[in-house]
Amino acid sequence: MRIEFERTGGFAGMGLSTSVDVADLSPRDQETLESAVESANFFQLPRQMISAGPGADRFQYHLVIEQEGNRHEVEVGEAVIPDSLRPLIEHLSMFARTGRLR
Amino acid sequence: MHPLHCILPPHMLEQIAENGTQRQREWALHTLTATEQFRGQRHIAGQVRAIAAAVPAVQRERITYDAENGTALPGRVARSENDPPTGDPAVDEAHDGAGATWSLYQEVYGRNSIDGHGMRIESSVHYDRGYDNAFWNGKQMVYGDGDDDLPEAERLFHRFTVAIDIIGHELTHGVTQYEANLVYWDQPGALNESFSDVFGALVKQRALGQSAGAADWVIGAGLFTDNVNGQGIRSMAAPGTAYDDPVLGTDPQPAHMQDYVHTSSDYGGVHINSGIPNHAFYLAAMEMGGNAWEKAGRIWYVALRDRIEARTTFPEAANLIYRVAGELYGYGSLEQQSVQRGWAGVGIDVTAPEQPGCWERLREIWTGQRGAGNED
Repeated sequence: MRIEFERTGGFAGMGLSTSVDVADLSPRDQETLESAVESANFFQLPRQMISAGPGADRFQYHLVIEQEGNRHEVEVGEAVIPDSLRPLIEHLSMFARTGRLR
Repeated sequence: MHPLHCILPPHMLEQIAENGTQRQREWALHTLTATEQFRGQRHIAGQVRAIAAAVPAVQRERITYDAENGTALPGRVARSENDPPTGDPAVDEAHDGAGATWSLYQEVYGRNSIDGHGMRIESSVHYDRGYDNAFWNGKQMVYGDGDDDLPEAERLFHRFTVAIDIIGHELTHGVTQYEANLVYWDQPGALNESFSDVFGALVKQRALGQSAGAADWVIGAGLFTDNVNGQGIRSMAAPGTAYDDPVLGTDPQPAHMQDYVHTSSDYGGVHINSGIPNHAFYLAAMEMGGNAWEKAGRIWYVALRDRIEARTTFPEAANLIYRVAGELYGYGSLEQQSVQRGWAGVGIDVTAPEQPGCWERLREIWTGQRGAGNED
């Protein structure tokens, strides 16, 4: 499984991104990410989830996951992240910030 | 020369003052006090006092919450309007910064809170964990603690309440929502961001008592830890130079239309291209001199309140702001010329006439200016 993650927007307007080849991670980290992808039901999520409500300086996330020939891409506004997807975004944000999952 | 030079029989203003909505009455009050007509016609004075008395007394009401590192809002009440400081720096900075922002809007521009009608100002701090952001969610301000979940050597951001201009920036998103309601995309979105940076900077300059020439014009100074090579998030004086860091990269802001960034990220680059109108404000304010919140700030505020609309572009904003400058400070005044040169400095030529035609002015008065008709 391969994951591309990008965060844009926010007050600072600074991008944050990372690519993860899950096979390169420790077994424990592989398990963490794979189960987060599965709990999110990632391959069934709508491609675009954008908040129509008011607000400013929110983050925008863009995720692309390839797994066993499947490829799915999701763009989601911070205000409308489904609860099921939140743990995956939190793990990937941490990985992008530090190179670690925890 | 005065703003309503060609027409405006006093009875028209009086009519508006008596029968208009609150916004129209405030506008009429402003016009009456701002024009030479007022000085020449003493009988209006009583009218003005009556209108002033009818405007409700203003009362500041803030409430600051602690989200306790969760994402449920608003969280636990941490400090109410008249409470003493709590000792928690995030709570106290958010509360005091909201107070300073309220004061700029109220004491300088006569605006009663975010919505103009005394709305309670709500802020939540300690939002989430490792949350490198501050935002306005349509109802309140929200602040993260930065990288306090990481070992010190890895931290890039301090808590987001640490810079008072960030607080002014977020609260101004609320003001914009209730006024121009600029859409958050492309040029209107970058204008939305720019108004937030402008008034954020002015809150800071006024709090420090700094003239335009003494200010650093940096947004978010103090937000970076010592691990970052940068003075802040954005520079209004020199967009594109705020930081240059191996981890965070280089400040991507343009200072001129020729460097406008076309992108679909960040809602069409709203935090990137805001550098262009930010720099136009800086150039205009520097040329006017003195305290930037007094003249340049007032011009930009009145434009945001009365003229800018949801889909206004950079060149349209330049023309609208130029006209407001003429109405407030005189056609051909130094202030109006400074606005023109400010926009010219970022590659945008003002095309509006120095002074509007009479019919245009009459139509505006009778149809009510934008926003005037849908209040109350």
